[in-house]
Amino acid sequence: MFGQKKKGIPKKYVLLIVIVLIIVLFVIFSVSLKKERELNKVESFFKDTLIYVEKIVVYPFDYVKNKISDYNELKNVKKDNDILETSMDRILSIETENIELRRQLEALKDELNIDYSLTDYEYLNASVISRNVGYWYNKITIDKGSYNGVEKDMVVITSKGLIGRVINTTTFTSDVKLITTSDTNNKISVHISNGDTNLYGLINGYNYNDNVLELEGISNTKDVNIGDKVYTSGLGGIFPSGILIGTVSEITTDSYDLAKVIKVKPSADFSDINYVSILKRKSDNK
Amino acid sequence: MIISIIYLIISFLLDNFMSNVFSSTFGYVSYFSTIYIIISFVVIYPYFSNDKKYFILIIIFGILFDVLYTSTFLINLVLFFVIALFIKFLNNFLPNNIFMANVLSFSCIIVYHVLTFLILNIASGSIYGFVLLGDILTHSLIMTVLYTSVSYFIIKLIYNKFNIKVIK
Repeated sequence: MFGQKKKGIPKKYVLLIVIVLIIVLFVIFSVSLKKERELNKVESFFKDTLIYVEKIVVYPFDYVKNKISDYNELKNVKKDNDILETSMDRILSIETENIELRRQLEALKDELNIDYSLTDYEYLNASVISRNVGYWYNKITIDKGSYNGVEKDMVVITSKGLIGRVINTTTFTSDVKLITTSDTNNKISVHISNGDTNLYGLINGYNYNDNVLELEGISNTKDVNIGDKVYTSGLGGIFPSGILIGTVSEITTDSYDLAKVIKVKPSADFSDINYVSILKRKSDNK
Repeated sequence: MIISIIYLIISFLLDNFMSNVFSSTFGYVSYFSTIYIIISFVVIYPYFSNDKKYFILIIIFGILFDVLYTSTFLINLVLFFVIALFIKFLNNFLPNNIFMANVLSFSCIIVYHVLTFLILNIASGSIYGFVLLGDILTHSLIMTVLYTSVSYFIIKLIYNKFNIKVIK
């Protein structure tokens, strides 16, 4: 024992251990990020508890915020009322037309054996309780969870259009991945309504500089105009058809001059999402 | 110790609360955004003579951040641990004053975002541009300085009042 020096791990092994550790961590990160990990029961419990604590803390601030917002809305009530009065007559005629169209739609669905459409969904309203903490994951948390019948991959919209889909749920909350992301798993099949023709393409990503979605896959020979509306096509299985995504704001062509690259300005305001609706299939409740 | 834990809990809750006040979705990051829990790591470090206790707190809040806010596994735990090592390393050279606390806080915010940027680009298959990284970093500056300065004074005041020099 005498004269022996206490030996630590040699430096070259320390470096090796660090490299191996980094590789292992990257593998774990990769798996957990790509699989959209679901929370276990303990994690769900902690998340629900935190959300309720936050709700209590935030309540007075929300109350004041809502009162200010109500007051601002009241200032415009006269103007809004005038607009509504002029549109009342139009609404009556649209309602009559709507009943007839619904009847025709049901008849056509029976004929074509289509199980569901956007009208077969019911809306579950929810409030946003957390917005993208940590910045990079681009998701919001809403105050409805599995207890309210929310499930993974349900579609979330605002009054203005599509915002995302549910990626995981706890008993009383759900995380919603926004469509404004570069995530390669987040592609959306869409169609552009151009008069009588429908052009199909794919939302391929989000341009952070211009705050627009990028749409690809439409041939250069097809006619698309600025201002055309972009809707979900229903292809791909997650997003039902007919949900408004946005309007065409810019049209260019790809480097081979074969397909159009279309910039779509989202109709939903992603800077101010407070209330959302989750689309639940009516058949899910049966 | 209890003061530091309360401060960490407040900072942790602020991360969620402030995300509702100041927008932080892609393309719409507010100029008043930051990660409050990271700033609190910087502010409390000089009061810990026992690194073990400090690192235990870091690990606990890393796990909580992963589970409750980002629904990720280990990512924030590892990032917070790296940031804690970074804080420990720089505290050997930097004096403990308000200016250096601000410099260190913003450096830690940069480290957090750059590492997350690298992890997401390499491990998740997503493409996040440098423009987005720059956007998030520049938008973090104001609130980082504001929160660091305010909490530095408050924590110093509380510790002086209770005549606590370091947490053993």
